[in-house]
Amino acid sequence: MIPVLLILIPLLSGLVTFFLKDEKAAKSWSLLASVITLAVVFSGLFIYNHNNETTFDTEWLPNLGSRFSLALDGMGKMLTLLTAISFPVVFASTYKNSYKQSGSFYGLMLLTQAGLMGVFLASDALLFYFFWELALIPVYFLCSIWGGEKRIAVTFKFFIYTFIGSLLMLAGILFLYFQTADHSFAIKSLYNLHLSAKSQNTVFWLFFIAFAIKMPIFPLHTWQPDTYEQSPTAVTMILSGVMVKMGIFALIRWLIPIFPEAVANFSTVIIIFSIIGMIYASQIAIQQDDIKRLIAYSSIAHIGLMCAAIFAQNKIGLEGVMIQMFNHGINVIGLWIVADVIEQQLGTRKLSELGGLAQKAPTLAILLVVLSLANIALPLTNSFVGEFLMFIGLFQYNIWAAAIAGVSIILAAVYTLNMIQKIFYGNTVSLTDNAVDAKNNVQWILIVLVVVVIVLGVYPQPLINLTKDTVNTFFVNR
Amino acid sequence: MNAIILSALLGVVMMFASVFTENKIAIRNIAIFGLLILLASNLLNIYTPYSFNVDLHNMLRFDSFGLFFNSIAIVSTLLYVILSGSDIVKVGNYPAEYFALIFFVLCGVTILSSYNSLLMLFLGVEIMSIPLYILTGSDKKNLKSNEASLKYFLMGAFSTGIMLMGIALLYGASGNFNLEMIREKTSIAEFGILAPLGLLLIFISLAFKVSAAPFHFWTPDVYDGAPSVFTSFMATIVKTAGFIAFVKLFSLRMADLGPSYAIILPVIIIATLLVGNITAVFQQSVKRMLAYSSIAQAGFMLFALYTSNDLSTEGILLYAAAYSIATIGIFGILIKMKDYTFDGYNGLAKKQPLVAATNTVFLLSLAGIPLTAGFFAKYYMLASALKSNGSALWLVIVAVLFAAVSVYYYFRVIQAMYFKDGDAETTEIDGTFKFVLVVLALLIILIGINPSILLRWYYF
Amino acid sequence: MPIQYYIILSLALFCIGIVGVLVRRNVIIVFMCIELMLNAVNLLLVAFSKMHHGIAYLTDKTTTTGSDAQLFVFFIMVVAAAEVSVGLAIIVMMYRNTHSVDVNFLNRLKN
Repeated sequence: MIPVLLILIPLLSGLVTFFLKDEKAAKSWSLLASVITLAVVFSGLFIYNHNNETTFDTEWLPNLGSRFSLALDGMGKMLTLLTAISFPVVFASTYKNSYKQSGSFYGLMLLTQAGLMGVFLASDALLFYFFWELALIPVYFLCSIWGGEKRIAVTFKFFIYTFIGSLLMLAGILFLYFQTADHSFAIKSLYNLHLSAKSQNTVFWLFFIAFAIKMPIFPLHTWQPDTYEQSPTAVTMILSGVMVKMGIFALIRWLIPIFPEAVANFSTVIIIFSIIGMIYASQIAIQQDDIKRLIAYSSIAHIGLMCAAIFAQNKIGLEGVMIQMFNHGINVIGLWIVADVIEQQLGTRKLSELGGLAQKAPTLAILLVVLSLANIALPLTNSFVGEFLMFIGLFQYNIWAAAIAGVSIILAAVYTLNMIQKIFYGNTVSLTDNAVDAKNNVQWILIVLVVVVIVLGVYPQPLINLTKDTVNTFFVNR
Repeated sequence: MNAIILSALLGVVMMFASVFTENKIAIRNIAIFGLLILLASNLLNIYTPYSFNVDLHNMLRFDSFGLFFNSIAIVSTLLYVILSGSDIVKVGNYPAEYFALIFFVLCGVTILSSYNSLLMLFLGVEIMSIPLYILTGSDKKNLKSNEASLKYFLMGAFSTGIMLMGIALLYGASGNFNLEMIREKTSIAEFGILAPLGLLLIFISLAFKVSAAPFHFWTPDVYDGAPSVFTSFMATIVKTAGFIAFVKLFSLRMADLGPSYAIILPVIIIATLLVGNITAVFQQSVKRMLAYSSIAQAGFMLFALYTSNDLSTEGILLYAAAYSIATIGIFGILIKMKDYTFDGYNGLAKKQPLVAATNTVFLLSLAGIPLTAGFFAKYYMLASALKSNGSALWLVIVAVLFAAVSVYYYFRVIQAMYFKDGDAETTEIDGTFKFVLVVLALLIILIGINPSILLRWYYF
Repeated sequence: MPIQYYIILSLALFCIGIVGVLVRRNVIIVFMCIELMLNAVNLLLVAFSKMHHGIAYLTDKTTTTGSDAQLFVFFIMVVAAAEVSVGLAIIVMMYRNTHSVDVNFLNRLKN
């Protein structure tokens, strides 16, 4: 029952939110709904965690062989947790921002959450495809209505990109369906498939392109910086914190186990592309003047590393990916919150127009420094564990791949520290003369995030335990 | 049989209605009432033994496929008349006659859904087409309407000639007009070339009717020139009926007869998708865009001919319903707009939030986004192709890429309505209109969640 | 006379009709060409009817094989008449508005 609740709560409360005219009511209502969802996730993880409570299965389309089956397991546990944490954080940190037609804004946000939950919970391929698309539609409206100046064209590009990808995936899903012995979309039937090498090599790409666009992997990343820049920051947090994880999640769950031979054939190509993307994105991030674009490119670099580690095909790398998926979500949301605070208060995102903010906003400065250090994956921050494991995994695969990928860590340090220096240190400029510290709600949220960063950096075991089953079964089956 | 007889009778009734009353609202209500009776009689025919029984010499055969399509066509017409009825009566001075013609078209549609002889195919196509020529030209003073009507008529008559030649050649090879008998006899016929040639000609003429490339060129002009209310009818019920006739012709595995059928059909499918989608991208008028989009949708419906299995027959019915409902809704809204260009929709969401929201649902359905009926319609089509042979994967990939292209022009309307500022001017929109729009949108979403809501009526 | 002659004759008439529809500009002439196509079909149907009847007659003296095609011819005539009445009405309507029966007028719609 838990998985159904996780989808229904945001879905229904989202629909209700559309009819709330009062801005305050819409905000409080959606915050409340997202906190309830979080509570349900926790209860699913720690209290009602028996099999019959965390899975749900009922008839949906008997003629088509598709069932409405959901399961809260392994990797899904961690990502539902990440989704459930992100939304209250986003709502709380943007509580003071005001949006036109706020009822529709928060309604669409909650619908996005429902879609995301569905993606992470679905254990039926057609259902998975449904939620994959449903998570996209509200985001399209969110970015196009509340985004920046160039929002319409940019969001449209984003939509077309992902839509092409998901349609290719649909063709792939259909093909697999007719290959299964019992004509079913169930994930178990797909895992039991034995496809010929030829069809594996074709259908693999249908799936991979869909996921690569979502992550995004070089050279399919071009939608991403523009979209992150033009979207309202609350949406950007969800996009980069949670939505890109859809791609990685889908890679691990829906691609690698089904096409083992194709993965072995193409892993080198994909790792090369991932590494090129990492270096390229880091390089561009260094030259950025816009905070949002800088974080966007840094996100491409991090995702590239995760993708490379997945295709390195070893246990330790995969463990690193699992941990990093969660941690990257937390860190990047923190960074976006700071970017949003600066933009809301000073009206600019340009590094060249900022400076000396630490004198005016000391708390914000300290919190951002911690988050930035986590972004560079310094020891004692949460990212360190994940990135370290991923590099070991990559190292086991090929020493050169690991060495070249390692350059991106140095580059990450360059652009991240550069960003901190330009925003917070040096002398104040005219714009930052009258700046004040962040508001209370933002401070508290950031403090919570920083605590999570440090705790998971010192003691990452809970995360490893959460996804242990997935990693183990993954390598037992193969 | 009920629907065929009753629709012809109701057409006559409507003609007489104009003698007794001049009241436009009354005439519209009579038509709605007539359609309800027609629907009831068709349902009686399907689910009970109450139906006319005439010795048909096996010329018509009533199976669940045809009868169920009749229901879809009648319900679509009913929704169309309720939604746009007040606009139909505004086209000219003879409102009752328009409804009479619509009933005659329905008569043709019901014949097409149950023909078992090539004679009936010919009669059905003609009974369906001739009233449409008149409806297309019903805006008599408008030059565009005149030209559309003339063009439609010439193309229609031309394709009829081709179809008749095909029928004659097929008869020469088999000595029979009955579909099953033709199938039996031609395999041993001595006139080897006549049968494939005849089938090819029938194929071409039906391709004209459903506007499959390269026989589509009349479509945009005619759809654009005809009064918008009647374009709505032409693009939905009439077009899907053409496909039903097509599927019936090929469901008997007549495909085996055709020359290199396995090559021709994919080429036609891809050409249709290409022409429809790519040209629609460049349109400035929503009405013309919809004309091209109807070609593009025809490309998907052609998948039902590519293979013959349970998924393709279910799929074409589902597609007919999904496509008709969505298109009727979009046209219903289009008719209310004062400016037919994309810019005419700017800011509609602020002025008419409900209308804009339902229009979005219809557009999403045509684009094939999940949770709308259009998704499952496309899904069934693609699945039916893959079910028969996995090597159709490349065709499916091409089709989905074109579906992605179609998003471009459907979403331009959504962008105009929601994201652009403007002053979308509409004519008066009343409560009934909004109510029907909501009903249509709900139908689309319900079928989109579970298509068996619709299809379970097929397997009674 | 062998059936091939009939087939060739009616196909020739049919092709003349098609070419006429495609190249002539006067609507009335185009219209006549369509009629020519239909009549080519009529001729062919009657010829085939006779042929099939002849084949069947050899084995069964009371056969009615072939009568269906002759019936079909009547249907074609009736439908063609209906089509003509509608078509001429459309042409008259167009003539009233434009004082011309030239098909080139149709190209105006494209703009």
